[in-house]
Amino acid sequence: MAEDQESDLVSVSRRRYFVLLVLAAALIGSALVAMLIGTLGPIGPGEPERIGFGDAVNIIFRQFEDVPSYHVDIFWEVRIPRVILAGLVGAALACAGTAMQAVFRNPMADPYIVGVSSGASLGAVTAGLFGITTVLGVFITPLFAFVTALLTVFAVYALGTVKGRVYVDTLLLSGVAVAAFLGAIVSFLIYFARQEYHRIIFWLLGSLSLQSWDAVIVVLVAVAFGSIIVYLYGRDLNALLLGEETAHNLGADPEFLKTLMLVVAAVMTSAAVAFTGVIGFVGLIVPHMVRLVVGADHRTLVPAATLTGAIFLIWADAIARTALAPTELPVGIITALCGGPFFLYLLRRGRTKGVIS
Amino acid sequence: MRLSLRNLSFSYGDSKILRDISFDVPEGGFIGLMGPNGSGKTTLLRCIMRFLETGQEMVLLDGKSLQSLSHVEVARTFAVVPQSSSTDFIFTAYDIVMMGRIPHFKSRLSNETRSDADVVKDAMRRTNTWRFAGRQFSELSGGERQRVLIARALAQQPQCLLLDEPTVYLDINGQFEVMDLIKKLNRESGITVVAVLHDVNLAARYCDTIALLSHGRLEAIGTPADVLAPDIIQSVYGIDVIVRRDPFSQAVYVLPHTAALAAAKHGRRVHVLCGGGTGGPVMKALSDHGYSVSAGALNVLDSDFQNAQDLHIPVAAESPFAPISEEVHRENMRLIDQSEAVVVTPFPVGPGNLRNLEAAMSALGSSKGVLILESEGSQRVDFVGGRADAMVGDLISRGAVRVSGIAELVRALSRGGRS
Repeated sequence: MAEDQESDLVSVSRRRYFVLLVLAAALIGSALVAMLIGTLGPIGPGEPERIGFGDAVNIIFRQFEDVPSYHVDIFWEVRIPRVILAGLVGAALACAGTAMQAVFRNPMADPYIVGVSSGASLGAVTAGLFGITTVLGVFITPLFAFVTALLTVFAVYALGTVKGRVYVDTLLLSGVAVAAFLGAIVSFLIYFARQEYHRIIFWLLGSLSLQSWDAVIVVLVAVAFGSIIVYLYGRDLNALLLGEETAHNLGADPEFLKTLMLVVAAVMTSAAVAFTGVIGFVGLIVPHMVRLVVGADHRTLVPAATLTGAIFLIWADAIARTALAPTELPVGIITALCGGPFFLYLLRRGRTKGVIS
Repeated sequence: MRLSLRNLSFSYGDSKILRDISFDVPEGGFIGLMGPNGSGKTTLLRCIMRFLETGQEMVLLDGKSLQSLSHVEVARTFAVVPQSSSTDFIFTAYDIVMMGRIPHFKSRLSNETRSDADVVKDAMRRTNTWRFAGRQFSELSGGERQRVLIARALAQQPQCLLLDEPTVYLDINGQFEVMDLIKKLNRESGITVVAVLHDVNLAARYCDTIALLSHGRLEAIGTPADVLAPDIIQSVYGIDVIVRRDPFSQAVYVLPHTAALAAAKHGRRVHVLCGGGTGGPVMKALSDHGYSVSAGALNVLDSDFQNAQDLHIPVAAESPFAPISEEVHRENMRLIDQSEAVVVTPFPVGPGNLRNLEAAMSALGSSKGVLILESEGSQRVDFVGGRADAMVGDLISRGAVRVSGIAELVRALSRGGRS
């Protein structure tokens, strides 16, 4: 029996690579399929005009002979950056959520727990209220949202820190209080922003319709740096789950680790939220779900959750674009609609097994 | 590795938690940190593992400052076993022990190697946790979890093991299991052990050295027998104790004997005729009720003699194993004369101490109250062929009061000791 156990334990790392390989393949497949879905695309509500499957595949793989240039634009200016952005935003939220759950040692934490969403909302609504959309060709709403989100996180961090030590309970409560306070200001501003009302609500519910290659590049940089840093500190995060004293004793610096994770998660989340608005549930449910499958070891969990977050949001956005076509739904509605019940299912299942996560 | 503390002080803001603590723990030593709640034991442990930062040169490892080490070097030197550990996240016992290897990985990208797996397996075999390596940590019992944490500490391959009340949540079996394991590791592998312990007797049994803290100061340090003395414990914990030796291990052990509700002395005197341990509870109860108690006649090695000494009660004492001599009998009578009442416990009677019953008889003659305490459900042990029983019967017929149990004895005495 002991020998069986040993071979089981050895095969753990092989299983890890297998899971990651499957997820990576699923991500590429999902992205390609999602690019084909949508108005004028070969799949979905294409009437009266529809780009053929072969043409679409040719366009995606940059074979542009015999295709009208506006077909190329539909793919390369609209659909492809949108699908990539959806994947990147999903990855950012899931990775940031994983990091926050480790820092707060609580599987119910999410990337917005330190005030990113309320801060970004305030910035976006302010920009919307003054009707400024671009200055010098830069989108002003994302810029405002990004800056206010980071400022808010910084304020919450300062409130949760006493003499250089981060107290996670205080941090959590500061996050809740600041979010409530900023939420009130946002509501107040929305109330007076009658003309911009629809646009602001759409942003608040989260949408990928503001896609652009610029957005892709910004979020890509944030996700690439962020997820690699979180992955590299995976072992330390494992130790942190057992308490700060244990993490310290296993050679990690808990104060540095908490601050680093907060900064990385805040930058990733702010970058994502700035372009897409507040997309809920991805950062909460994806790490949770993935943990049930691959376990709590962050060296598997972080890459697996990041990939799964990307897949999840690509599909959620595909549904948001097509479910009520030609009307587009905010993707946040889809993630909450799918995520809420599924989350409850997992919660109940975990309870009956006597395990919380 | 020799661990030295040099004038270690630590404050949280304005409140000083530790003041000027200095001592050395030699390589392979086993030191227990003791003291009342709030005396700074856990804080001291946290300073030693550098979870709390102290000044330069306050903690030295083989003469080298702890401050000069990196986080990872500290983690390779000390392994900590906390009071308990729990997590909402899913880890197997094996995962938890493997975490002990974290300080030994070359880089953040390196994976567990065969040798890491071997170290983990060995640590789990030694702590008897290998058989549940694949089970979830959160589903294990308290004792199993504690052993897994010790296994993790071993997997860290430290030079010094720091334990913070490792047995506090365990039942008595678990306590000994865990402490035996730690002692074994200390002896066999020469790992230095520093343990915060609450249980005085557990500490006395396992530690070479005990450091006693009080209000953040080092009150006493030395062998258990030196430190666990009644006067030191009285001054640190504020309770009266008796210190004895375990008859098997010769380890000292400490018995508290302060009555929470001890009455003020009212000056009334009672003499207790006892022996063979029957007098201990009586002397204690009467002292707690404010009586001035004396006892006799007892041989010096009799357990009641020891009891009387511990309670600071005057005794008419005879040399060991000798029958009660004329001289000691007179001393016994003198003590009886000074008392209002005499209590006769159900002590075993032999030719050597028959005189105690004679003393009771003459007390009755001089119209003192005599109370015969009967032990419930058992007869007096009589080594003099029924003469003791006859004498007790005689005492009762002449007016001695029979009481069963200490509560009744105290009530009878408060009425003056007469029927």
